[in-house]
Amino acid sequence: MSPEPGAYRGVLDRLARAAQAKGQPYNGTIELTARCNLACRMCYVRLPANDAAARAAELSAAQWLEVVAQAQAGGMVFLLITGGEPLLRPDFFELWAPLTRRGLMLTLYTNATLVTESVAERLAAAPPSRIGVTLYGATAATYEAVTGQPDGLERCLAGIERLMRRGLPLVVRSTLSTYNVDELEAMRAIAADFGVPFQSSWYLTGRADRQPSEAAACRLSDSCGLDLEAEDRERRGLPAAEGRRTPPPANAEAFYCAAGQASFVLDPSGAMHVCLDLRQPGARPLEVGFEAAWAATRAFVAAHNELGAECAACDVRAWCGRCPASSMIETGTLTEPVPALCELAKLRAARETAGV
Amino acid sequence: MQRVDEFILQDVGGEAILVPIGQKVVDLNGLIALNATGLFLWEQLAQPREVGELADLLCGEFEVEPAVARNDVLAFTQRLREIGAVIE
Repeated sequence: MSPEPGAYRGVLDRLARAAQAKGQPYNGTIELTARCNLACRMCYVRLPANDAAARAAELSAAQWLEVVAQAQAGGMVFLLITGGEPLLRPDFFELWAPLTRRGLMLTLYTNATLVTESVAERLAAAPPSRIGVTLYGATAATYEAVTGQPDGLERCLAGIERLMRRGLPLVVRSTLSTYNVDELEAMRAIAADFGVPFQSSWYLTGRADRQPSEAAACRLSDSCGLDLEAEDRERRGLPAAEGRRTPPPANAEAFYCAAGQASFVLDPSGAMHVCLDLRQPGARPLEVGFEAAWAATRAFVAAHNELGAECAACDVRAWCGRCPASSMIETGTLTEPVPALCELAKLRAARETAGV
Repeated sequence: MQRVDEFILQDVGGEAILVPIGQKVVDLNGLIALNATGLFLWEQLAQPREVGELADLLCGEFEVEPAVARNDVLAFTQRLREIGAVIE
């Protein structure tokens, strides 16, 4: 352990590599609901808060506790609870409070707009390792333009303040788009005023269910996105070329992250998937047992771990973020190139090769 | 001294870590990675132990000089005290 964020990140990376080497499902994500009280234009998973069919398909708190017990027996140590908006669930604390007593490194993602004094009090009584609050703008107008909520920013900031007042460990996160990128510095300032770290991401993907999405229309230009990447590396004191992935060998594996090899996702109905963006293979721990569901997930990755011919022959592959999940969202296959990512990789390679 | 119940020993890829629960989560804001001697000492602290006793146990388990073992135990238990992982 170290109080140094960089050193702590190093420990986490080492643990991830150790788990992956052993095929341990150490890192789980539970998508508690796909429903949300916001309606963000670019969101990859958004259903209305009152979607009765979606609500009916969600596992109960008791069922989730059974799944988590099985997952822990199978090696899970880190757990992210996300959505949709997890706090929409009226039985949220029936799940949450027991989870915090299980010795898990527990993270909660929320938009904080539903964090009342009572919710903050209950979270303080059962604190997670980290709460990630997503911020969609620094002004009410921008927040509304992204989320459709006129009083969203006010409620979000009030929620953050309630959490901070109780000393809970927060990170402010933002998803950048054409709607809010001009307020990036102002959002950073909001996080700084609260004294918490700020993280942002910019490459918007389509919906995992392949339904129509505004993601591409909201996405920043490649040039703007790469400027942000470079700025972020500079801010973190990393050399310009650090953004590049290690050049893979000729027979590189298609899945280059821990997904399906040391991490997994459970959707609101309890089906296990490789990651949030790749909704396969869908085995259910409550029906087949966690061990069998994890085996099916690993087997799926192992069976699809070869690059397509075009990507394998590509000379800017080391600069490319494409993976089977991004191909599935954009092309419906696991292997076809994603044209937008091809262009981005070419530009990233050209910039970094030129030392820009 | 003896370990408290608010740290749960977990295994990630063969590495031992201590995960805090309850208010220790906020106090620590992270996790504790244990090496082999740290794990051994943590296991011994399931019952009340003195520094000298822990050093003797360490010498019995690892090839280490008594003076080095005592220093290791002092450093480790001091860190555990700082984060409230042991009580006297």
